[in-house]
Amino acid sequence: MSDTLTSKLNPLSLPLRQQLGLIALVLLAFTPFWMGFLYAGDQGLLHIRTITIALFIGMFAMSWDSVSGYTGQISFGHALFFAIGGYGSALLNLGWGVPPLAAVVLGTVLAAVAGLLIGVPALRLEGPYLSLVTLVAPLILLQVFIWRSDIFGGELGIPNPDPLVATSGFAQETYVFFYVAFALFVLILAVLLAVTRSDAGSVLTAIREDEDAVAASGLNPAKFKTFAFVLSASVGGLAGAVFVHTPMASPTPSQLLAQTVSIEVIIAAVLGGMGTIVGAALGGMFLSIFRSQLSNVDFVVPGLGVSVGDLDLVIFAVGTLIILFALPGGVLRWGIVAGRKLVGSDGAAADGGRTPVEQTLEKFREFFRGGRDD
Amino acid sequence: MTEYAPDDGLLVLNNLRKEFGGLTAVDDLSFVVEEGEILGFIGPNGAGKSTTFNCVTGAYEPTSGTVHYHGEDVTGEPAYEMVKRGMARTFQSFRPLDDRSVLRNVELALAPDRLFSLSGLRGKTTDRARELCERVGLGDRIHQTPDELPHAGLLRLELGRALATDPDLLLVDEPFAGLSSGEVAELSDLLTDLRDEGITLVVVDHNMRGLLSLIDRAIVIQFGAKIAEGTPEEIRNDETVQEAYLGGDEI
Repeated sequence: MSDTLTSKLNPLSLPLRQQLGLIALVLLAFTPFWMGFLYAGDQGLLHIRTITIALFIGMFAMSWDSVSGYTGQISFGHALFFAIGGYGSALLNLGWGVPPLAAVVLGTVLAAVAGLLIGVPALRLEGPYLSLVTLVAPLILLQVFIWRSDIFGGELGIPNPDPLVATSGFAQETYVFFYVAFALFVLILAVLLAVTRSDAGSVLTAIREDEDAVAASGLNPAKFKTFAFVLSASVGGLAGAVFVHTPMASPTPSQLLAQTVSIEVIIAAVLGGMGTIVGAALGGMFLSIFRSQLSNVDFVVPGLGVSVGDLDLVIFAVGTLIILFALPGGVLRWGIVAGRKLVGSDGAAADGGRTPVEQTLEKFREFFRGGRDD
Repeated sequence: MTEYAPDDGLLVLNNLRKEFGGLTAVDDLSFVVEEGEILGFIGPNGAGKSTTFNCVTGAYEPTSGTVHYHGEDVTGEPAYEMVKRGMARTFQSFRPLDDRSVLRNVELALAPDRLFSLSGLRGKTTDRARELCERVGLGDRIHQTPDELPHAGLLRLELGRALATDPDLLLVDEPFAGLSSGEVAELSDLLTDLRDEGITLVVVDHNMRGLLSLIDRAIVIQFGAKIAEGTPEEIRNDETVQEAYLGGDEI
């Protein structure tokens, strides 16, 4: 077995699924070109903007997946970090005139600090304490935003800070910020893939499976959980900070902090494949694009008097429930297994054990039952 | 009450006590594990063997008393810290990671307790893990998942994982339960070999039959307190022990 670094980085020696992933990434990089062929004029530009937003939602979902998907410590409030990164960066820029790039860096640091403040106490303990804390923390922050509306703009949010890059004209703006988002997407994808495929990544999935076994292997579970959580908070904060410096978003609770944002991210990651990073990215992008397409549908549901576009979250939630029953490992895992069968290589050996969703549920079950008897 | 000095042995317990609410599971227990021996830690079901174990390995914090390892006070140190200091354990109810192969289970115990490490990328860890699997008799099963292993295989995996942490002292919890007599003999040979390689062993069991031929010395506890200590011969002839085991024909 030649598990060396060079063979892992050579595209020709990669497994088929990773080669497909690279091709998809290259296709994504050329979005502005093929969009130009498919749609004329502004229609194409609007679609590019939709994909730009989708890239950010994909980054949010990856950030959630890197901690919750891997360690099984479910965060119910990841929007907290998107908001701290986004609002932090925007306020630094608007209030103190910090240049956007520096503001983004500082916003990311703020989110990392918030991750430490929440993660260190909540992750020292075994059990779903993190879930409880992250459920409450964004609600508190939202109340603070409403209470100090003079600073945070309350429910309406604050105006857009300076864009990350100065552009002129709608077309140029669209292209430039697409590539800003794409570059950040690739960066985050690469960092999170590197971490989760390293030794540390295998420790994280082992924590999801059995924390005592990890400790018996001489590894400190709290250290790895906290690391994953702070990394995740930083990534989420970074994505949130850059997002508000694009014309596609502004620092408002509905875009960065609302409970629905946190839930959407979870739905996206579970849908795509919890604990895979790539699945979360795909899930987030799919969810975002599908949602914006849905809002264009004028069809009104008979009897309810509501248009389909207003029901997007309901549709996703129901879809997720169905996926959870049918494909508990998420769409990506199912795709890989189905693909292997199609190609004829038997992936049965790697298929042992339970899916991350099942492992996480087991963790919760154990906790509320009063632990394992040993 | 006899007080042992911290460096009287590899592992020294002094007046170790563990209470759960009103229940005293371990009652001022003191004993020494000498370097290089195979010590039997024996007692009827519910005598407090596993609780003592859990206090020593860091799973529980003792209510009072001290634990010294290599002459250092390690009372209340967390589990991973004890492993790093060279004390490994196996679990009585096996705790494999079901989501990965036997090889990857052992590899995890070889991973450094550092957040950033490239050691896994050089393939050396895999070679070492394969050696360890062969050492514990799982060489032909490295690509299976734990749920494909028989009972004895899971025990071997527990041992493989413990050995991967490079221990000086290995605590083996109830290894003989559920094994056939052939498997008991194989396992005894393996444990003896490990001792000959320089690992000190503590073997916990409530059944003395398989154990007495393996061990050099035994400590017998009942209701969390020590009732006897000595060579297998002395233990076999000890009246208190015979009483604890209902009239002695058990042994």
